[in-house]
Amino acid sequence: MGLLRRFLWPAIWLLVLLAFPLVWDTPFQQRLGTLVLLYAIAASAWNIVGGYAGQVSVGHVVFFGCGAYGALATYTHLGLPPIAGLPLGVAASVAIAAVVGVPTLRLSGHYFSMATIAVAELVRLVVANTEFLGAAVGLSGPTVPRSVLDLSFTSSLPYYYLFLAVLAGTLALTWRMENSRMGYYLRAIKDSERAARSLGAAASRYKMRAYLLSAALTAVAGSMYAIMIGFIDPESGLGILISVKILIMAALGGTGTLFGPLVGAAILVPLEEISNNVFGGGGAGLTFVVYGAVIMLLARFQPGGLLELLGRLRARAAGRGARRAA
Amino acid sequence: MLLEGRDVTVAFGAFRAVDGASVGVREGEVLGLIGPNGAGKSTFFNCLTGDLTPTQGSVHFAGQDVTRLPPEDRAALGIARSFQVPLTFEGMSVLDNVMIGAFLRTAHTGEARERAGAVIERVGLAPFAHASARSLGTPGRKRLEIARALATEPKVLLLDEAMAGLTPTEVRQAIALVRAIHQSGITLVIVEHIMEVIVTLAERVVVFNQGREIANGTPAEVTSEPQVIEAYLGKRAARAMRRGA
Ligand SMILES: Nc1ncnc2c1ncn2[C@@H]1O[C@H](COP(=O)(O)OP(=O)(O)O)[C@@H](O)[C@H]1O
Ligand SMILES: [Mg+2]
Repeated sequence: MGLLRRFLWPAIWLLVLLAFPLVWDTPFQQRLGTLVLLYAIAASAWNIVGGYAGQVSVGHVVFFGCGAYGALATYTHLGLPPIAGLPLGVAASVAIAAVVGVPTLRLSGHYFSMATIAVAELVRLVVANTEFLGAAVGLSGPTVPRSVLDLSFTSSLPYYYLFLAVLAGTLALTWRMENSRMGYYLRAIKDSERAARSLGAAASRYKMRAYLLSAALTAVAGSMYAIMIGFIDPESGLGILISVKILIMAALGGTGTLFGPLVGAAILVPLEEISNNVFGGGGAGLTFVVYGAVIMLLARFQPGGLLELLGRLRARAAGRGARRAA
Repeated sequence: MLLEGRDVTVAFGAFRAVDGASVGVREGEVLGLIGPNGAGKSTFFNCLTGDLTPTQGSVHFAGQDVTRLPPEDRAALGIARSFQVPLTFEGMSVLDNVMIGAFLRTAHTGEARERAGAVIERVGLAPFAHASARSLGTPGRKRLEIARALATEPKVLLLDEAMAGLTPTEVRQAIALVRAIHQSGITLVIVEHIMEVIVTLAERVVVFNQGREIANGTPAEVTSEPQVIEAYLGKRAARAMRRGA
């Protein structure tokens, strides 16, 4: 039973993820799966600082934008494959995170949240007025791939497996963090910062580490997005709605849990894509309504997210089973 | 002196919760800090641990000026504490709570778990190791705070009213635990307002009243000082006792 729990279920889930685009193989379904994975990467990255460290960043799109613009600016100005700009985007992300985090992470969480929104909006305005970054028009990737390194494909399938690998890497890193001293310290700091510090946990240093790691991984998600779509402008790369989406996906699935963000993305991305398809342009408005509803339901009923709810239901079922057996 | 506050003053606005107090603990000693509610014991205590920075004065540990050092750095030097109102990590198991302390001396999760397990054994919390901290009562929580602090392998342990709210039996058990900790070579500062606890445990006692040190000596010495009786029982009772004597 223990062996089953430990290896069988993860193996089944891995198989489902690997087989998904081969079984559901229309372009729409493959693209849907790919977008789910992309947002799962971003939401998992957010989860490191927003979930594990309990510091709610509402401006995470700024890191997404760094990755996206890093990739396409490298292509536009240096003629290199977009992927070569990924390290640049990660470096810019980490620099911005350091500038935002150092003064605000030692204060109460509200200052941090507000500072992240302010910085994201500021960066969006600056980018929208910078010719070098395409200003309001945006930047494009290669229209025809020059080599496979451009990672420009017409099918979603290659992106699906690329993103799956990146997601696996992100989750493996998160899992390692969760079980290391850093993970323990972050849980303690979230519970009682004062007590954690009295035991030697340097609270602001660990929150900072989580923020930097989260920023770097979010930039990776941004680069992936830009490489796949081949186009970025201030709205699609730095718009506040992306921050909100990422945050809500993580919250819906369960913040501070390994698979919560993936679950959240797997629910919300299809919901949004299908509503966009069915209602056309009006779908965007409906998306806002859905997100608003999710926020309200989460706030009212289940601050722990769906995975916690599932765990609770399972515990209750097990309790009932035990009682019946007794 | 191993840990010492010199001329410490803490002002909250115009009000001085601690007013020019100089108190230190020698290595290997059990120092008791007593005084009526609101005397400034916890405030002074928080200056020693780094939770508060004194408005004036300085704090020294093993010859080093630590006045501006944050609590986490003082923990690394070997200063550990408990809180008057327990601050256990409610969402974690007892074992995980203690592991947070153990992680100060090892970065390795398995090793931290092992060391935490040994400490839990030592303080008698082994049956609850995997229970959540939330499920413990007040005595359990206070014990857990002590375990967590011990896991940091401190040189000096400061306990803020670790016995308050316990039944007489629990107080006796807690006294035995504190004695064992002292015998293992850890210097202790214990804040209590229960006189009996201080009398049985402390070698030297400092009495606080209205932010100032009003007496300092062995338990027998300080409990016979008129000023101390007055601070505890009020002026009329003190006068009545003097008349009776
Ligand atoms: N943060 C604070 N702000 C204002 N007054 C405080 C604060 N902390 C403590 N005090 C006041 O300082 C005095 C001393 O408090 P405390 O050190 O907790 O006393 P004790 O531990 O001896 O009972 C009390 O009058 C208390 O109300
Ligand atoms: Mg007190």
